[in-house]
Amino acid sequence: MALPVSCLLVAMLFSASCKATTFSDQTCTEKEANKTYNCENLGLREIPDTLPNTTEFLEFSFNFLPAIQNTTFCRLTNLIFLDLTRCQINWIHEDTFQSHHQLDTLVLTGNPLIFMAETSLLGPRALKHLFLIQTGISNLEFIPVHNLENLESLYLGSNYISSIKFPENFPTQNLKVLDFQNNALHFLSREDLNALGATNLSLNLDSNDLKGMEPGAFHAKAFRSLRFGGILDVPVILKGLQNSTTQSLWLGTYWDTESQDLTPAMLEGLCEMSVESISLRRYHFSDLSATTFRCFTGLRELDLTAAHLKELPSGIQGMNSLQKLVLNVNHFEQLCQINAASFPALTDLSIKGNLEELDLGAGCLEKLENLRRLDLSRSGIKASDCCNLQLKGLHRLQHLNLSYAESIGLRSQAFQESPKLEVLDLAFIHLTVRVPQSPFQNLPLLQALNLSHCLLDASNQHLLEGLRGLRQLNLQGNHFQDGSLSKTNLLQTVAGLEVLILSSCELLSIDPQAFLGLGNVTHIDLSHNSLTESSVDALGHLKGLYLNLAANSLRIIPPRLLPILAQQSTINLSHNPLDCTCSNAGFLTWFRENLHRLEDAEETVCANPPSLRGVKLSDVDLSCGLTALGIFFLVVFLFLFTILLIFAVKFLLRWKYQHI
Amino acid sequence: MKGFTAAFLIWTLISPSGGAPPAWPTHTACKDSSLEVLYQSCDPSQDFGFSIDQCSQHLKSNINIRFGIILREDIKGLFLDASLLTGGESVLNYSYPICEEDLPNFSFCGKRKGEQIYYAGPANNIGFDIPKGNYQVLLKLYNEKHSMVACANATIICS
Repeated sequence: MALPVSCLLVAMLFSASCKATTFSDQTCTEKEANKTYNCENLGLREIPDTLPNTTEFLEFSFNFLPAIQNTTFCRLTNLIFLDLTRCQINWIHEDTFQSHHQLDTLVLTGNPLIFMAETSLLGPRALKHLFLIQTGISNLEFIPVHNLENLESLYLGSNYISSIKFPENFPTQNLKVLDFQNNALHFLSREDLNALGATNLSLNLDSNDLKGMEPGAFHAKAFRSLRFGGILDVPVILKGLQNSTTQSLWLGTYWDTESQDLTPAMLEGLCEMSVESISLRRYHFSDLSATTFRCFTGLRELDLTAAHLKELPSGIQGMNSLQKLVLNVNHFEQLCQINAASFPALTDLSIKGNLEELDLGAGCLEKLENLRRLDLSRSGIKASDCCNLQLKGLHRLQHLNLSYAESIGLRSQAFQESPKLEVLDLAFIHLTVRVPQSPFQNLPLLQALNLSHCLLDASNQHLLEGLRGLRQLNLQGNHFQDGSLSKTNLLQTVAGLEVLILSSCELLSIDPQAFLGLGNVTHIDLSHNSLTESSVDALGHLKGLYLNLAANSLRIIPPRLLPILAQQSTINLSHNPLDCTCSNAGFLTWFRENLHRLEDAEETVCANPPSLRGVKLSDVDLSCGLTALGIFFLVVFLFLFTILLIFAVKFLLRWKYQHI
Repeated sequence: MKGFTAAFLIWTLISPSGGAPPAWPTHTACKDSSLEVLYQSCDPSQDFGFSIDQCSQHLKSNINIRFGIILREDIKGLFLDASLLTGGESVLNYSYPICEEDLPNFSFCGKRKGEQIYYAGPANNIGFDIPKGNYQVLLKLYNEKHSMVACANATIICS
């Protein structure tokens, strides 16, 4: 008797422990109901039953599917996007996707594919994007040809492909993106490229160790973009590109790639091809002279980022088409060293992240009458008297970025040379305003001004005079006298503001009439200050705002302020020391009823009382005031009290009469 | 009764232990008479391989490193945050951009989720002398969307 019973018990306990393991597994997360699911990294060996048949976007990466066939995904016929990255897939058998007519994107990155059946990709009406990155492919014949007529992007990076020659029946006519980076393509011949007739193709051949190319291999072909990053032999590549046309040619190199120094002779091949935009990042130039630029004359864009340049040579001729010049992360000491006069048609100039302290000089960019955008950020600029001499001649300038300069001193009408400025970024500069008047006068078209962390005294009422068209203002990190935004303040001169950022300004209070003139404002950020509830009064006349009051000192919001909050469209009250006691009952009820308009409600937690500290406001349910039960007991108590009183009076009277 | 006890004991032996994730093993990145660098992955989903060529107390500039990992995220942007910890609190923070979308410094910048990376090459560091002592450093690699690519608790023992 004991033995069978104990066996039964053992069996029960075994099955109980098995159940325990399945419960500890997680299920897929739902991103959008009935549509988008993420089952990444769950150790799944099959599609879980919990996924609905209507699933359209499925991320299934980092699971375990050694072989996929027509039964694997058969239930999910509505799939549009399927990510099977690193699922250890070895075999893709026939008709795996036969019922997936809407499948548009298939990601098979990182699977050690041994075999793909001929009909494995049949089924989708228009498979557009196929990712076969790092799947061990060494020959393009591995990819089954059937049903790829609509293919737009084919990613074959990090494989062992040695020849770019597509099999004869491989449909390439609709290809827009073809990515062969990091393969074993050592040589390209003209025959290899025969199949690539599509125009508007972006072909990526980065990091391929290309040792040679047949001269004229790309003859008479037109591309949207060609990438030959990390190439060892530039002249050979350019010779192969003879008589070809491309909108963009990326010839940059990397820190971990050995590359030659470019001499003027090496770049001569550019004269034989048609290029609009070229990037030569990270190359060293030796014998840098005007001759280096001889074949750049047709260019519209030139990127010489991190090219170890100390100057651009003078005497460069014929660069009349150049519109965009990128000279980031170089070693210029003076702005005049770029010899800007060589590029008269320039509309866009960027010298970001210069590795030396850049001296702006005077009138260095004077000949650039057409310049619209100028980015000189993060270049260690020091200019004590800015900016009319430095910006001389830039009458058409619309965007100016000087952020992260060391220090700039602004005189009055500092931007007189560029009255058409629309966007001005002066963030994180030690800014000195030398005069009581506004330095921004005569900028009627300015729409966005970024003055964050400029160590300004924001109490200067005249700071923004003249900016009648200003729509966006960022004053983050600047301080007001006494931590107070008073009734007369700098915002009065910018009544058209739509976006106002006053975060991290160490504000303690806001005068109720401080925002009176701002009728058009739609976004106010007052986060990371020390404001109390009284500051909400200042927003009484504003409706439909995005209002950010996160990380302030709001405790108890009195009922009279609730209508002001209720008339805004989105509010953020997170990280405030909010009270969750009955004195804040009205606000707590309002909060629970208005969760749809509250941003970061999960981070909006109680600070008081200690028993409720850290609890989300949306989870708090207080009962304050008299409840129905309380009223009942009160009535009963009063009734009993009245009866007791009557008896006491009766007793007293009787006792009195007895003693008469 | 005996059977019941036996069954119970067997069950406790084979049933899964609580939900605590297994910690990854501690590896040695390099070892030398004067310097030892150990690390342990703090990414719950995976471990990674890392070693430093020729480490010494006088750390040379541009040392050669080897690094192998499976990417769990695309790395169009890749950033390194290093914090020096004492008693669990960070006292020194250092942030460095390895790949940026408009400035890919290395050939592996832009690789996609699921690819494995093996990098053997210079680290582009500055040379400096490591002062004697034991240090705890927390290293985090994350992409432009702030998703974790790698995480390591490193111990530097310099004697």
